[in-house]
Amino acid sequence: MEEYSVSANLDRLVEDIVKENRAKAEEIRREGLTHIEDDFSKARDEANRDADQITRNTKTECNAVVNRRVSQEKQKARLAYLTEKNKVLDDVMREAETKLVEFCRDGTRYRPFLLKSIVRGMEAIPSQKVKVALSEADLRRYRDSKLLEDALAKTQTTKTAVLSDKPIETTGGAVVTSQDGTMRVDCTLEAKLELMKTQLLAEISKMLFAS
Amino acid sequence: MKRIVEAEKESEQMLEMAKREISEARKDTPNRIASMRQQILLEASEQREKALADAERAGAQEAERIALEAKRQVESLSQIPKDRRRRAVERTIELLLS
Repeated sequence: MEEYSVSANLDRLVEDIVKENRAKAEEIRREGLTHIEDDFSKARDEANRDADQITRNTKTECNAVVNRRVSQEKQKARLAYLTEKNKVLDDVMREAETKLVEFCRDGTRYRPFLLKSIVRGMEAIPSQKVKVALSEADLRRYRDSKLLEDALAKTQTTKTAVLSDKPIETTGGAVVTSQDGTMRVDCTLEAKLELMKTQLLAEISKMLFAS
Repeated sequence: MKRIVEAEKESEQMLEMAKREISEARKDTPNRIASMRQQILLEASEQREKALADAERAGAQEAERIALEAKRQVESLSQIPKDRRRRAVERTIELLLS
């Protein structure tokens, strides 16, 4: 009976030793795997963060791609529109210039304008004696007329005026200078056109393009 | 006594085996991590390429819409009524002669 008891105790002891060490082995495995999984998990989190950063950057890149494309096209469209708009404005200006040439040929309508131009020039020159220069056509047409007398009468001054023999290059209007040539007032259509160009273009644009 | 020694020995082997297994697993960890990281970044990169291609397409579509609208606007300039154009010419002359 006693022999049986010793043997049973020995069995239990051996079993305990094995059981205990199996548990230790399991603990080693568990701890080891936990560490490995922790490392893996940290690395995965880091990779996911990097991937998120790529995604965020991608959104910015995509917006830039769309914006660049849209902006290029808008610029192109704007340029095309402005080019066409300028073409229309140029056409209108050219048409107006052609009509002005016709207007200058019509003596009845043109004379009052020419008179007004000369008066404006005379009034702007502060000297007593002035010289009035006209285009070759106007010189021929008005040399022997009372153009200057009429102009002087309109200024209501005691000024004197003479016609210059030298014709000027102009569609219409006059250039008035002081007798000594130190002062000069350009009252030609070309000068007025140049002076008023911005205003004219704005006015035409308003009339043509305002919706 | 002999059985106890054997049990100790067996236990020792079990512990050694567990340590070896963990050591092997540790040795393989950098490769597993690299592979996992590569996979995650590859997916992100593929999504980026796809998103960029989509953005290019969306940009091109929007650009096409703008181009069409621009064409329509440019065409409308050449369709200004003659009467309005004539009035603009007359107004220009009127301003110049005033």
